Amino acid sequence: MNIKQKLMCTIATGLIATLGMSQMTFAAGEFDGQTLRVKFIGGAQYEPLYALIPAWEEATGAKVEILSRKNHFELDREIKQDIASGLVDWCVGSNHTSFAPQYGDLYIDLNGLVSEDVLADFVPNALASSTVNGRLVQLPRHSDVSNLYYIKSLFEDDDNKKDFKAEYGYDLLPPETWVQVKDQAIFFADPPNFYGTQFVGKDEAITGRFYEMLRAEGGSIFDAEGRPVFNSAAGVRALSWFVDLYESKAVPAGVPNYLWDDTGLGFASGTVALNLDWAGWASFFNDPANSKIAGDIGIIRAPKGSAGIRTGWSGSHTFSITKTCETPEVAVSLIEFLTNYDAQMTEARTGLLPTRSVVWDDVVTEFKAADNAFMVDIFKTYKLSMAEDAFTVPLIPEWIEVSNALWPNLQAAMIGDKTVQEALDDAADLATEILEDAGKL
Amino acid sequence: MTTISLKFSSAIQSKKSMPYLLILPAIIVILGVVLVPLLFSFYTSFTPFKLTKPDSLFVFIGFKNYIRIFSDMAFWEAFGRTVLFLAVVINLEFLLGLGIALMINKITHGQRVLRTIMMFPMMFSPILVGFQFKFIFNDNIGILNNALQSLGVTDQAIAWLVDRWLAFGAISFAEIWMSTSIFAILLLAGLFSMPQEPLEAAQVDGCNSWQIFKHITLPFIMPFAFIAMTIRSLDVARAYDIVDVMTGGGPAGRTELLWTMIARTGFDNANMGRANAMAYVSIILSILFTYYFFRKIIAARKAMGGDA
Repeated sequence: MNIKQKLMCTIATGLIATLGMSQMTFAAGEFDGQTLRVKFIGGAQYEPLYALIPAWEEATGAKVEILSRKNHFELDREIKQDIASGLVDWCVGSNHTSFAPQYGDLYIDLNGLVSEDVLADFVPNALASSTVNGRLVQLPRHSDVSNLYYIKSLFEDDDNKKDFKAEYGYDLLPPETWVQVKDQAIFFADPPNFYGTQFVGKDEAITGRFYEMLRAEGGSIFDAEGRPVFNSAAGVRALSWFVDLYESKAVPAGVPNYLWDDTGLGFASGTVALNLDWAGWASFFNDPANSKIAGDIGIIRAPKGSAGIRTGWSGSHTFSITKTCETPEVAVSLIEFLTNYDAQMTEARTGLLPTRSVVWDDVVTEFKAADNAFMVDIFKTYKLSMAEDAFTVPLIPEWIEVSNALWPNLQAAMIGDKTVQEALDDAADLATEILEDAGKL
Repeated sequence: MTTISLKFSSAIQSKKSMPYLLILPAIIVILGVVLVPLLFSFYTSFTPFKLTKPDSLFVFIGFKNYIRIFSDMAFWEAFGRTVLFLAVVINLEFLLGLGIALMINKITHGQRVLRTIMMFPMMFSPILVGFQFKFIFNDNIGILNNALQSLGVTDQAIAWLVDRWLAFGAISFAEIWMSTSIFAILLLAGLFSMPQEPLEAAQVDGCNSWQIFKHITLPFIMPFAFIAMTIRSLDVARAYDIVDVMTGGGPAGRTELLWTMIARTGFDNANMGRANAMAYVSIILSILFTYYFFRKIIAARKAMGGDA
């Protein structure tokens, strides 16, 4: 970010902060003396939003007592222990669309509590993903979906173009399909110095990547009766994509152990040609202080699978209100504040994807004014992706457990402990057992 | 009624009962803090208790959780790997700690500073240690592979955290790095308390350094070593955070230890009933290790002429 861009951002931030107070819809001091106990997700990218809370406290007279500020997995454990002990003595909690179904009736339905005017400003897809069994159990804060970053100079190099065409019979262009990604990744790979692509390889991260590839191949996790069917031909094609790349050494040998920080730092190190990742990394990738490929990055929508469907595993970070909350009107006021226009602009400037429709346009306008063409491209690409490609995981309480049965088997196929079909069959057996235990089958 | 009151009053005032009465509050607290949770968790192991479904606590399913565990190969693989991990880590920590303690014991200047520096790894949180070694062992951008490649040792990207034995070695290394100083401190305490007369007598008798170490120093500090081993065999479960961050028990269960498996089952999957059943089976492991080390302590003390 150059001086001009920084100046524009500073001015814009100041303006928004000033205007923000005037956009609060509540009466001054209407919650005097009330204290809201909350449990929030913590971490560098989530914290700037919480810096806005004092403004809400000043305007409403209420106080926010933050009981927890943990990463989502630790927060999930804490919330489950609260449910088990029956001691849910807090009002507002950070939530996620993938986690929400497992909490049962812990959180109240926000339909009717949050006005329709407010809900109308949100992206419909984000609200749909936040709805479990017809109940809007969370208000989306920001969303996640992945698109494909690539090193531009590799695709502009004449030798690369000539050699690729000679080897694969088609032009070297940013890929439109995952088959092309595989070809290009193998073509660019020169291990251990350079890799064609990479992927996260453990926990729910690889489950999600497999799931979106499965959808792109025309498959699904469950059939209409809720039986696991991911060990289908589409499932085999989806998992084979990962296995083939691993076996051909087009991805780093450590990917079965990679999570988001590994892939993000790996791409920024300039040793990976193509990288499917969140928008939250965009600024980091294009910052010369952190990235060796700053100024040389292209972004395209996630490619398509053989079914003509683009990958688009998506989810939203959200806020929920507990059913034990004695002051739901105060809690609603807080979560509306934390997801209002100003709050979302604050987060969008850092690359987090907004859930309010108008913020998508306004943040692009702001980046244009700051001559930040890269972030304009990022937001335009992700807007399209969120609108047309994004889909959430199956919203069932057993999802995390099914995921924990699936990912070790996906890894087993990758590292050669099982064949692709064996891995998927074993995972399907475990998933069936989980669903039978839950009384779903 | 009066007779009973008098008898009760005299009973509690008798010399025999007074010690028991005095420690009664402590016993009640210990029962409340230790025994009740143990009994409760033991009960839950016979239920399908899910954290997110509190009502499942009252459903009795007999030995179903235990039957599943006993027929689950993944559990027994994790059990065996945990035994191996304990054996490797504790023995290597003992050897390294002994070496460090012997060297520090010989130093005449700066010993206090060295003792303080030696304790630094213990002060790190296991999560931090896990992240530190995760990036050191990263195959692509990790410092270890980059150093090996730059020095010309290898032209390959070694997958430290993927290969079955390298990954086991990597998590063991991280744990040993963090906890060796516990052994060193306890063994150093043993060396400080050691009388000098037997050593001087052995030197006068013409024993060489190895003979003195083998027949005098080592037997003397072995009770300290077994106390350290007992503490570490119970405390080593702190490695959970390291393993969770570095490999998450993977890939494909290659570094799965009982602790990662139980935590995933109990918290991520919310199956606390089954997780508690796993924990009770794994307690056998802790009891066996503790029993073994206490036997060794008693034997070592007998060998030194002390009371068993």
